[in-house]
Formats: sequence, structure tokens, C-alpha cells
Amino acid sequence: MGVTKIVEIPVVTTEVPIGPQHPALHEPVMLKVYADGEEVVRVDVNTGYNHRGIEKLCEKNTFYRDIFIVSRVCGICNAVHANCYVRALEQILDVTPNRRAKFLRVLSMELERIHSHMLINAVMAEIVGFETLFMQIMLDREKVMKAKEILTGNRVSADFMMVGGVRRDIDDVKKEKIKEILLKLKPRVEYYVKVFEEDETILKRLIDVGKINYRDATSHSFVGPPARASGVRIDSRASDKYDAYDEIPFNVVTRNEGDSWARMMVRWSEVMESIEMGLYILNNLPLDGNPVPDERRLPRKFPPGEAFTRVEAQRGELTYYVMSDGKSQNPYRVKIRTPSFNNIVNSAFMYVGYSLADVPVILTSLDPCISCMERVTVIDLEKGTRERIPFKQLSSGGKR
Amino acid sequence: MKRPKLLETVLRNLVSKPATIQYPREKTTIEPDFRGIQYADLSKCTGCSLCSIECPADAIKMTPIPQEYAVPKINPRRLYPLINYGKCVYCYRCVKVCPVNAYIVTSKYDIAGPTRYTSEDLSLKTLKEVKSQ
Repeated sequence: MGVTKIVEIPVVTTEVPIGPQHPALHEPVMLKVYADGEEVVRVDVNTGYNHRGIEKLCEKNTFYRDIFIVSRVCGICNAVHANCYVRALEQILDVTPNRRAKFLRVLSMELERIHSHMLINAVMAEIVGFETLFMQIMLDREKVMKAKEILTGNRVSADFMMVGGVRRDIDDVKKEKIKEILLKLKPRVEYYVKVFEEDETILKRLIDVGKINYRDATSHSFVGPPARASGVRIDSRASDKYDAYDEIPFNVVTRNEGDSWARMMVRWSEVMESIEMGLYILNNLPLDGNPVPDERRLPRKFPPGEAFTRVEAQRGELTYYVMSDGKSQNPYRVKIRTPSFNNIVNSAFMYVGYSLADVPVILTSLDPCISCMERVTVIDLEKGTRERIPFKQLSSGGKR
Repeated sequence: MKRPKLLETVLRNLVSKPATIQYPREKTTIEPDFRGIQYADLSKCTGCSLCSIECPADAIKMTPIPQEYAVPKINPRRLYPLINYGKCVYCYRCVKVCPVNAYIVTSKYDIAGPTRYTSEDLSLKTLKEVKSQ
């Protein structure tokens, strides 16, 4: 009788289940932590508490309805999800939006990046026990939400992207309002950077916690701020130059420390970059025609074809694969790969050697977004087996 | 030991006005073009069902107009879009795809309540009522 699978469980340890609902986590993920005294010796990452079947839902709805469905994959990164999907549709249809539309798309995505990074920094302040700072950052985050409301018509769900452009234009009054908000925000962010650099509570909890070196960051395929904090210069805004990122100047922020503090500081530096980008966009908004396409005249029929697009979401590289068979109104396949999937599922090795109290800090420093990353696991109740279905099999329409 | 950096802000906030508002008594300030509830103007609506087909949340159901209302000739099937605001995601796809621009948009957002809230009253108000014999 051959042994098919060996499950190693450390014997002289205590098993501490953290999650899926836990006050120290702000996302439904379960970390099974094995601790020897206070020291973590092994962590199992269990997911599957937030699976909603969005990829299948996309196949059952038309191309245009899917724009609004994929926006609801994740609340915080809704504009980037919609942008990635819409650019895939534009590649299939061979449509190019004008420059003004591209600039407005980038503005909405950068506003989203600002408020997402401010949120996770605020959560980190709360996790380390600094609730005053949490309140302060959230108060300033409200200003960014207001800017997004002025631009898109809603504080969170932008619904701003459409094939061939954006869904609403801005006038000079709105432009001035957003500019004023960004200028007000800038000194506040500079102040928070100073707090994160100098405050003893934060430094003691974050520095040298959850270190990843360059080699581990690349071999475990980390993306986004966790990779950039370990010195990996990975940013699809710079490498792909989609939308208007080829015209707007910005720097890719990297740090070499690789610990939780570096990840948070990379996020603050990106907020500063995004504010500068937002101001540049508002000062140099091109005037080459109407960015809002008439949604009644958009093509109904999609030619056969497939498209693979990627964007730099707040948490890293987000990719979409959209396939059209040319026969029906619905996409044949929509595949989403979110950055949190890479960052969280591969993160178990980071916790080993640190104390139990550091577990929430390390998880928060990765900026988990569980609703984005859930995948299909098939559980056979009769045989009692669990099976994870790979992409190849799913794309073949369930055929083995 | 160094002086905590946030001490100054904390002291300032102790004496200043609170940032939160007493919500139901005091309204939140929103933009005039905030995406609030929307309803069809039945004097323009042709009952073509396009909004119902395009709605990503399946919140719009084409419903017959009650007999006591006078319906314009452009709507021979006497149908109107009934929006269930509990299901609606306020993406305004219906507003943008309507071929006759029949939708009226508002910035009303405080619609949570114990009863089911639909666009029935708002839409039917746009029609003239005829006394049934």
C-alpha cells in the first residue's frame, strides 16, 4: 500500500485557529497557526469562506452586463476590475477610446489607489493598537471618497468604465473641486508618513516583522506592494503603459527592507505619487472630443476572439482573460486572477519564527482582499474528498 | 522619551467640533449629480423592455400599467419598468440605454426601510389618472 499524501502536523505544539471571523482580521480567511509557546512554527492558510461564483455568473450574462458584475468582485478595487475587463472587450472589438477618456480613467483609478492604501494603513494602525491614528486617517480618507463622488457619481462603486470611454465627463467646476481636495490631502499624507516613520509604537510593532527577501518574493511570485517592498521592481503601469500611463509621469516606488514597515511605507509613497499624478491629470486634461460614448450605439455583436489584459490594482497585478466565441451575446469564458490570490495563498512561510501577536500584523501588511481571490474547490460528500479544479479543466467547459 | 507625534492633533480635536454628524436628523452633503434612485417618465416610455434586458442586477421587471391610467399611444403594450430598489445597484445602465431618454434621475439615496421600495408610485405619478366607469 503506497502512501499518497503526507500531512505534517507538528506534534508538540498548540493549534490556534485564527479566523474566519476574528476581531484581529478584517477579512474572512482562516489561518491555522501551530505555535510552540509564543513562537509560530507553521501556518496553514485556509480559504473558501467567500466564494460567490462570479466567473460563472459572467458567462451567463451579456458582455455589457458583465462590466457591472465584475465591478462587484471587490468593492475597493471596482474601477480597476472594470477597467481591466473593459480593455479586454476593447481589444476584442478593436475600439480605442480618446485621450481625454484615458486620462479620466487613470484619474478614477488613482483616486481609488489613494483611498485603498489609506484604508489599509488605517487598519494597520488599528491592529497595532493605535486607534487614534485609525480615526485620523479614516477622516482624511473621506475627502478622497468625496473626490470620487464628484468624479464618478458614487463614493465607492464607480461604474465609470464603458467600452470606448468613460460614463461621465467632468467640467471645470468639478475639476477645481477635485484639485482642491487633492491639495488639501497632500500635507495630511506627508504628516502620516512622518508618523509612520517616527512613532515608536508603530516602529516597534512593524520593523523586522514578516521579512521577505528578494529571492523569496520572486520565487513565491508576490505582486504589488509586498514585492516592491522587497526590492522587486514590478509594476504593470510601468511595464504595460496601458491607458494614459505612457503620458503621465510617475515613479515606481521600491524599498529594500522587505518587512511589514517597508510594505506600509511603499503604500504611503504610492499615495504621494498618486496625488501628484492626479494633479498632473487635472492640470493637463486633454480636450480631444467627447469621452462619453453613446451606450445605445455600441456594437451588439462581438467577433470571435480572446483578450488578455492586466492592470496594476492597489494590491498588485490583476489580470483578466476574456474569450468570445462570436456566436452568442455572452462571453465564452472570463478568467480573473487577482493579486491577493498570489499574495495570501503563498504567504504561509512568512509567519514562521515570529510571535503569535505578529500574525495579524503580517497578514494586514499584505493587504488581503479575500472576496477577490476565492477559487473553486469541489467536495465529494460521498467519498469525502476535496479537489481543486485547475484553470485548464475549467476552461474546457467541465470536460475531463 | 520622545513626545508622541499625534499629541498636538489629539489636543486640537478635543476642543473642536466632532467630524461625525447626527445622520437622520442632519443630512449628509452629497453632490447634485450623485447616482440616486431613478424612475421612468411614463409619458415618454414606450415599454420596449430594453432597460429590463440590460439591467445587470435583474432589478427591473416590465409590469402592466393599471387600467385606471391613460397611457400615451407610443406605449401600445401598456408596460412600464418597475424598479425594485432593494435589488438595484445604481449603475444607471437603464438610464444610459433608454432609446427615448425616459428616465428621470434623482440624488435621493436614503431608501432603507422596513417596507419594499419600488418605483411604482414615482412612475405612475407621471401619468394622468382616468376615472373608471
